[in-house]
Amino acid sequence: MMDSLYIAWKYLSFSKARTATLVACVTLIAVLPLALQLLLAESERQLLSRAESTPLLLGAPGSALDLVMNGLYFDDEVPELISMAAVDAVAASGLATPIPLYVRFKARRFPIVGTTLDYFDFRGLTVTAGRQLALLGECVVGAEVAERLGITAGDSLLSSPETVFDLAGVYPLNMKVAGVLARSHTPDDLAVFVDIKTAWVVQGLVHGHQDVTRTQDAGVIIEQTDDNVIANARLVEYTEINPGNIDSFHFHGTPDDYPLSAVITVPRDEKSATILRGRYLDGDSGYQLVVPGTVIDGLLANIFRIKHMLDAVILVVAVATGLALVLVFALSIRLRQREIQTVFRIGGSRLTIARLLAAEITLIVLVSGVLCAIALLLVHQYSDELVRTLVIR
Amino acid sequence: MTYRSLAWIAAISLLLMGSFVMAEEKPVIYTVNYPLQYFAQRIAGEQADVTLPVPAGIDPAFWQPDAGTVIAFQQADLVLLNGAGYAKWVSRVSLPRRKLVDTSAGYRDRYLQAEEAVTHSHGREGGHSHSGVAFTTWLDFTLAVEQARAIAAALSRLRPAAKDVFERNFSVLEQDLLALDSQVREIVAVDPDNSLLASHPVYQYFKRRYGLNLTSVMWEPDVAPEAAQWSELRQLLKLHPSNWMVWEGNPNPESVTGLRGLGVDSLVFDPCGNRPVDGDFLSVMQQNVQNLKRAF
Repeated sequence: MMDSLYIAWKYLSFSKARTATLVACVTLIAVLPLALQLLLAESERQLLSRAESTPLLLGAPGSALDLVMNGLYFDDEVPELISMAAVDAVAASGLATPIPLYVRFKARRFPIVGTTLDYFDFRGLTVTAGRQLALLGECVVGAEVAERLGITAGDSLLSSPETVFDLAGVYPLNMKVAGVLARSHTPDDLAVFVDIKTAWVVQGLVHGHQDVTRTQDAGVIIEQTDDNVIANARLVEYTEINPGNIDSFHFHGTPDDYPLSAVITVPRDEKSATILRGRYLDGDSGYQLVVPGTVIDGLLANIFRIKHMLDAVILVVAVATGLALVLVFALSIRLRQREIQTVFRIGGSRLTIARLLAAEITLIVLVSGVLCAIALLLVHQYSDELVRTLVIR
Repeated sequence: MTYRSLAWIAAISLLLMGSFVMAEEKPVIYTVNYPLQYFAQRIAGEQADVTLPVPAGIDPAFWQPDAGTVIAFQQADLVLLNGAGYAKWVSRVSLPRRKLVDTSAGYRDRYLQAEEAVTHSHGREGGHSHSGVAFTTWLDFTLAVEQARAIAAALSRLRPAAKDVFERNFSVLEQDLLALDSQVREIVAVDPDNSLLASHPVYQYFKRRYGLNLTSVMWEPDVAPEAAQWSELRQLLKLHPSNWMVWEGNPNPESVTGLRGLGVDSLVFDPCGNRPVDGDFLSVMQQNVQNLKRAF
């Protein structure tokens, strides 16, 4: 048997191109469905675990999927905005704890998540370096953000403008990194968390500047009366919040009108959840209250429908490739007639020839198997990140 | 089993239960001003540790905590806010929303606007900043009762087992506050048209509740007024003749003498925003009431 394997090995080594093609075909056919299965299982785990741990999500009427993907996975697609009044309404009902979310802006490609400290308790997120958010203008970053950007507590992080063409837009905010969160293997690792009020500073709704009622620079004042001062665009707004200027930061308008993308709603019990869902069932409420688990179940059902189609395609391709492999071997036997005749002449039987061919196939399958295992191991190793990059974001 | 054995078992059980109750940690309550600390302490008694981290001698309304103090606020079980825009620092820090209790939220519709506020806008079409809300709410003692009631409710939610204690303590506090309310009303009823001046615009709720004929200037008790301020006062006295100026704290002797020259006497009605050097909220308010009597 070892002789046959040795001769088969020598032959495969000699015909490198043919061997490589055969190994690649067999490996791909085996890896594709298995890797897909692994990735789907991981996406299901990630999507479902996050969705199931979020009881209710309140947002503007529209696509429930956009709302959930933005509120839970910080997807780029921003749903219609709602206002802080929605948070007050939930809190006033006494049925649930509202956790506001404003996921719209980015800092060096990572989403800025404006929320309250209740979010960290709700998700069980802890700070490993530095401290929790305390002052306006601070942020805490996910473990992956800290690693990829090479930042830690005490560093700064600049918010990105929404569009580079908005020359009259808001200045980026230089945020102080107060802390780094412990790795949670969730989308929180890839987010920059700020207090909801800091998110409004990023948007320019809350801002700080010199006191226009006391300024000596007449160039910044358009008009001044006893009870109002109108300033012009020369009035420079602060792009960083520090102990020296924090007192100058103020709201324009009523905070109740300030925007949010969603509200995580944590009901006191099942009865409270049912009552709340009933209140928001009415389309006239101006909101939709969704159960993220149900929305993600619907998404997964679609994914698995597509997966079944892909399985069928892969099966057809596998059969075609199998037939092609049989053809390759058949042709190869025909091309190798002279070699086979030589084996006969030096005393080799039909069985010897069959054993040689079987050894060749065995070696090809073995090498493919090893490559397949390595590929699957890599996919498994990086499935968490692959899913977040390819499926969730 | 003998009666003696049963008695021993009962005694040990009681001891164990007692130590279990003792082992339960007292909730930590942080407040943003002294009246709330006083109310919370009166209502909670020994059931909670109530803290006001503002250093003595600083007006809590304009204090700004450092990050370490904010973290301490975050770790408290309850954070009692005055509401009505009091302590603007609250809007510039991160505090867990579920622990916040806005004690004046129940009467938001009765907030008063601060007379001296100047708004601003960015460009002619820009949004106006929110004009200031008057925040010395507790000087209307009926509103102070509302705030104390909100504290009692929040404490009962936090420690339902001690609800009866909180309600009992609240009732006693309510009587004290309502007694102050009656006394001020009786004093003002003697001469409702009596014209008063206030050194600082902090008496808006006090003025509304007790129907005072009171106008404010912008003087500080510890700073001697400038010539322009004296001139403004003379103009004001022509429109609003008055024999008394109500001060937040003991006024500068120079101010007192100058006022006497204009026929205006001084009295102190301390809003007691921070811990008093002597006494407590109730004793300071009782002294305030006695001081007010001089003007009527």
